[in-house]
Amino acid sequence: MIGVISYLVFFSTIAAILAIAVLGLNLQWGNTGLFNGGVVASFGAGAYGTLILGGTPQDGHWGGFELYYPLALLGGMIFAGVLAWVVGKLTLRLRHDYLAIATFGVAVAFENVMRNATTVTGGAQGIRGFERPLQSLIGSGFTYNLMFLIAVLTCLALVYVFLERLTVSPFGRLLRAIREDETAARSLGKSPDKVRLAAFVTGSVIIGLAGSLYGTFYAFVSPQDVLPILTFQIWAMLIVGGAGNNKGAMAGAFLIWGSWTFSGWALSRFAPVEVQLYTGSIQFVLIGMVIVGMLLWRPQGLFPERLVVSQPGGGSRGKTQAEGLT
Amino acid sequence: MKKALVFAAVAAGMTTLSTGVQAQDCTTKIGAALPTSVDWGRPIAEVAQFAVDQVNEAGGAGGCSIEMVLRDTQVDPKVGVDAAKALVDLEGIKVLLGAVSSGVSMPILTSVTVPAGVMQMSCCSSSTAFTKLSEEGKTNGLWFRTFATTGVQSAMGAKVAADKGWKSVAILYKNDDWGQDMSRLIAADFAAAGIEVTANVAINDAQPSYRAEVTEALTSQPDALYLALYPTEGKSAVREWISLGGTQNMILANSLKSDEFRDSVGLQYLGNALGTDTASPRVESADAFKAAYEAKFGSQPNGPGLANSYDAAMIALLAMEAAGKDASGADIAAAVAKVTDPNGTAITADTAGFKAAKTTLAEGGTVMYQGATGNVRFDANGDVSAPAVVWKFTDSGTEEVEYLSLTEVDAFIASLKK
Repeated sequence: MIGVISYLVFFSTIAAILAIAVLGLNLQWGNTGLFNGGVVASFGAGAYGTLILGGTPQDGHWGGFELYYPLALLGGMIFAGVLAWVVGKLTLRLRHDYLAIATFGVAVAFENVMRNATTVTGGAQGIRGFERPLQSLIGSGFTYNLMFLIAVLTCLALVYVFLERLTVSPFGRLLRAIREDETAARSLGKSPDKVRLAAFVTGSVIIGLAGSLYGTFYAFVSPQDVLPILTFQIWAMLIVGGAGNNKGAMAGAFLIWGSWTFSGWALSRFAPVEVQLYTGSIQFVLIGMVIVGMLLWRPQGLFPERLVVSQPGGGSRGKTQAEGLT
Repeated sequence: MKKALVFAAVAAGMTTLSTGVQAQDCTTKIGAALPTSVDWGRPIAEVAQFAVDQVNEAGGAGGCSIEMVLRDTQVDPKVGVDAAKALVDLEGIKVLLGAVSSGVSMPILTSVTVPAGVMQMSCCSSSTAFTKLSEEGKTNGLWFRTFATTGVQSAMGAKVAADKGWKSVAILYKNDDWGQDMSRLIAADFAAAGIEVTANVAINDAQPSYRAEVTEALTSQPDALYLALYPTEGKSAVREWISLGGTQNMILANSLKSDEFRDSVGLQYLGNALGTDTASPRVESADAFKAAYEAKFGSQPNGPGLANSYDAAMIALLAMEAAGKDASGADIAAAVAKVTDPNGTAITADTAGFKAAKTTLAEGGTVMYQGATGNVRFDANGDVSAPAVVWKFTDSGTEEVEYLSLTEVDAFIASLKK
């Protein structure tokens, strides 16, 4: 029994970290309509930034500044934000699929830089982090994992509250106005370019926070952590959960990551011996089918976006999308 | 071929069920986290299961029959770590085989197996970062790997070039953790042996063409080419190398010891190609693994990591036998020394060998496991050294050119260090 609880704590930690990243993407895509195909670059920037700043010095590569942990965490987020600002300046003039391709290219470039800049990032061997904060006090067992989960859930809650407040604020309304009709927004004297950049950078900083926590938890990051598959996973979570809905984004993260791991477990336990070796491939097919099915039968996601009337002072009135359209 | 494999797997399953249940009335689970969804990962898992089956035929290990619970890592660290954690927490394993990539093995080691006190034995992770981690005392002696080849292999590459009188060598290496390590080590070894390295070029996965990389290596006009590549990109790179008029003097890392590579490059171009590998010891029983593998899978064990994976599983199971029933991960890890003792009774890598080991261990003796990769012996950091062999391709597979015992290998490596 303790084993099951211990595993669930571990699972929830990873799912909650991914949920933070999905929330960041939701701000970019769900609220502002920015098709970010390079989620993994921000995630990786956070992880690498934190581990380089907080890590212990190692032979053969730069870094290991052993900064106080909160500073390292903040540094990772800043690194993700600065990267997003540069990328955003260059690419945010592009629309939709062009933006997706450009950001995807940035993510692939990021992975290649991490793989080849051996002296800075440890190259393909990856970078070893630092002992997880407070581990010497609590030990590395179940209690620590539980504490870490609580810390991650706190971060998740903070990000959620922040984004919910943002969505119902006038700024949230402006984001949606730009998403729906940029020309109309411009005609009202708004400056879409600045707002898009602000949303892109904010979302990326949140994704960077997820990356920082991920790197901290594993105390290790390598180019294998920043492959395009992660972008795909995070997008799948948002699509299944419901773009534009923060609750949906979090639910999607737990659901997709849950089915990803549960299908692996179930196949290894219940599949007949002769298909055991093929479980990996079967798993990919199953997950692909879940996403395709979702897109076919419930394209708005499990939790559709709720249209809100944003007012200064926080008074807001919720409607489902269906109501809003009538 | 596929059918044969499936049949083999079914047959394997049947033997597990029949002999396992008859011989023992309890079952101990061991975990395996291997990339079964990748083409070269599946045989590595099959051969580990094969070792488990043999042990079950010999009556199991530690008084119980063994069940290997296999999970796919998808070469994704998140998925691999989750799989390992599920194996430890939900299946209650004390021994984990895996992973293949260092980038997956490392987070499993730091965040799952070491905190949980589970022994981890990898067939194929080659990163030097593990040695450093172990030197800092952060693995608690729970980490082992049967992949001896990075250091031994680069030294052998330098020896081949020196023996052949090749004065300058260009290197093509796979741009991953293993390849970067190899490139660094082999360049240093060539330099130590007085051979000039004219180019050291990274080869990225899955490119349609390697013309740019090959040209870069070719313009330096080397006497020979060193290849630290896997078959998939190796065959494309070598085809372009030869079609552009590059030399056919080649030194191959053991990862290219594959029929696929030989067939798609063409044997007529590989006449001057010499490969290096770690070797089985020179005793009659050395071919046990090869013979058993051929009987089972219908082909020679050519492919990256097969022999290493078999040895990883066998040594782990021997250690479980030596540690006895209900041993903890740390106990099993401590027992590894008992089954790889150079002064122990020599045992072969098959069912009969495992039975013999059981008897010896029951009498309080120690054994020396003579495995598919040689007389495996771990140092304090869980790294192995092994005898080496120089090989070349033939019509039917590969053929040995030269054999170097462990002492000779160690002597040669020491001579490079001077």
